[in-house]
Amino acid sequence: MLVLAFYSEMKNLGGRDMIQLHRIKKAFHTGSGKQDILRSVDLHVNTGEYVAIMGKSGSGKSTLLNILGALDSADSGEYVLAGKPVHKMRQAKRTGLRNNEIGFVFQQFQLIPNLSVYQNVLLPLTYGRKKLGRKKARVMQLLEEVGLADKRKQKPARLSGGEKQRAAIARALVNEPSILLADEPTGSLDETTTETILQLFDRVHQQGTTIVVITHDQEVANRAQRVIHLRNGVLV
Amino acid sequence: MRIGNALKLACFGLWANKFRVLSAMMGIVIGLFAVIVLISIAVGVKDTLLKQMGSLGAEQILVMPGRVLDTANGEKDFLSGITSVPSTLTYDDAKAVEAVPHVKTVTPQLETVSKAAYGEQNVQAVLVGSTHQYSRVQHAALAEGRFFTDEEQQSKEKVVVLGSNIHDALLGKTAQPQPGSTGAPAAEERAWWQRALDSFMAGTVVSAQETTLIGQKLTIGEHTYTVIGVLEPNATLGSSTDNNIVMPIETALASTDMKYLNKMIVEADSTDVIDEVDGAVFSAIKQNHKEIDFSVVKQDQMLGAIDNVTTILQVMLLGITAVALLISGTGIMNVMVMSVRERTREIGVRKAIGATTFEIMAQFFFETLLLCLIGGLVGIGLGYGFIELWNHYIDAFTLTLPLWAVKLALGSTMVIGGLFGIYPALKAARMKPSHALRFE
Ligand SMILES: Nc1ncnc2c1ncn2[C@@H]1O[C@H](COP(=O)(O)OP(=O)(O)OP(=O)(O)O)[C@@H](O)[C@H]1O
Ligand SMILES: [Mg+2]
Repeated sequence: MLVLAFYSEMKNLGGRDMIQLHRIKKAFHTGSGKQDILRSVDLHVNTGEYVAIMGKSGSGKSTLLNILGALDSADSGEYVLAGKPVHKMRQAKRTGLRNNEIGFVFQQFQLIPNLSVYQNVLLPLTYGRKKLGRKKARVMQLLEEVGLADKRKQKPARLSGGEKQRAAIARALVNEPSILLADEPTGSLDETTTETILQLFDRVHQQGTTIVVITHDQEVANRAQRVIHLRNGVLV
Repeated sequence: MRIGNALKLACFGLWANKFRVLSAMMGIVIGLFAVIVLISIAVGVKDTLLKQMGSLGAEQILVMPGRVLDTANGEKDFLSGITSVPSTLTYDDAKAVEAVPHVKTVTPQLETVSKAAYGEQNVQAVLVGSTHQYSRVQHAALAEGRFFTDEEQQSKEKVVVLGSNIHDALLGKTAQPQPGSTGAPAAEERAWWQRALDSFMAGTVVSAQETTLIGQKLTIGEHTYTVIGVLEPNATLGSSTDNNIVMPIETALASTDMKYLNKMIVEADSTDVIDEVDGAVFSAIKQNHKEIDFSVVKQDQMLGAIDNVTTILQVMLLGITAVALLISGTGIMNVMVMSVRERTREIGVRKAIGATTFEIMAQFFFETLLLCLIGGLVGIGLGYGFIELWNHYIDAFTLTLPLWAVKLALGSTMVIGGLFGIYPALKAARMKPSHALRFE
């Protein structure tokens, strides 16, 4: 047993499996009764892999990504992230996981309106238990990378859609997560802006970060190494 | 360390939301202002009325002109009032009462309004003729000089003791009281900074002028009188001595046209004999009067009437306090619940990027605490300012701000603010982040 456990640790450190989903089920109870959204989802993503998930609106893509991001829990099934069994974790541990391992780009930016771009990007570091040395330098470096250094003092309301999305991505990356989860990151953007975001993702991917991106845009899906479809509550 | 972080986040949160915070704070400020001012009005009215009604000692008996109506059960009905008739009480009545067994002292008082002049200065004052007991019975302490003696009274000396306002006005230290008003409290009409300046300059400028009238002569009517004493300011409304000029009663009878007593305060040897003395005083005066056009009142009768009023006033105070707290409480509650609802998504975001429930709660706890504390202090400060202004410009009655009102106001804000600020925050913080993020 011990040897096996050790072996599985080694495997994860070596970084083969980032995500393992096994028979994930999720239903929502609405006024019209129980609605099965995820029937039985199995998924395997390697460390450093770039995966796109596609599917119709309402098919449960965001629901799945929320489970992957530990923002929500499945009704049943197993979820192992970087060797850690998320489905067995208590709230406090999930919180730590979200802060340390996961970078999440929400479908509607979800920047805090009263904080400046700089403060929004800094936020994960203020909660973090990671020691990231010079926090300010880290935030500035990221803002530089996404091209928002000169807008760092602006409130999100004053930014364009593409700028908001880049700020949201910078916030997702500031804690140096091992996996980046993005929900329709180019959903409301034009072609040129989409291209800048995709180049940003490519760079992040080259630096070794695992990426799972939800999209309905074939262009976006084409940049990924693998495309999976969510249909009738299962991945195909 | 993490508490420090939460405090930092709280200050930051307040600052980042400064407009919303400002409007929330307005709610708290107005609520507390209302509580403070309403309570102080209620307390002020209560205190003023009680002070006006009850300054009689336990062994004192008050003889007044007019007749207090008796109620059906034989009690004196002060609330229905005293039939107002011109006084027929005389100094002879007072002398008759003095002869009653167990009477220790009798302090008769004549009262009229008259002009007094000193050099250029001219004021209207309440002229009082009384005995040397006056200062003790009226609780009027001397600021300087002395009170007149029994001997001076017997020999009808032309000496006077001045109330503090009259003294100041005659010295020209304050604005001339309005003509026609009965010795208006001139000192009160000056702005606070003028008074502050006065007291600041007191040692320098004023000392160059006269600072006391003791030993000086002033004119009242056709006669001149020597000032021998000045009374301390005496704030008691209704029986304030500040605008009085007191002279021996014999002098007053001889050199002014005052004839009838305004009132007479009789002191018994002890409280044991008070009932006996009460009856005897009544019979002694009645001998000189054809009909009963005077009233003899003991302290317990007075207190009975006061008790009634006290109860009414206490209930009023309680009611006003409750309503004020209810109004401000609802306001604060609304403000808190609204602001947390507005921020449910923000709470979701913070959780999603790694804030623990504890960290969020600590932030909201400190935010609420700071908000209520700052808003509360500003509200109380404004209320206090209002009370100061009121007391400065409005003479009708004095507003009093009791410490318990401040504690109650601040405490209730903290409790209500805490409850309705922290509870919704806790609810939001315990939601799944995915849920809070969907909140519209
Ligand atoms: N918290 C919830 N409570 C009830 N129903 C929910 C909840 N979250 C999602 N749903 C429902 O589940 C279904 C899938 O929602 P989800 O957001 O996962 O779809 P999606 O694939 O991301 O769609 P889109 O492409 O439009 O973003 C929808 O019908 C939605 O109404
Ligand atoms: Mg979605």
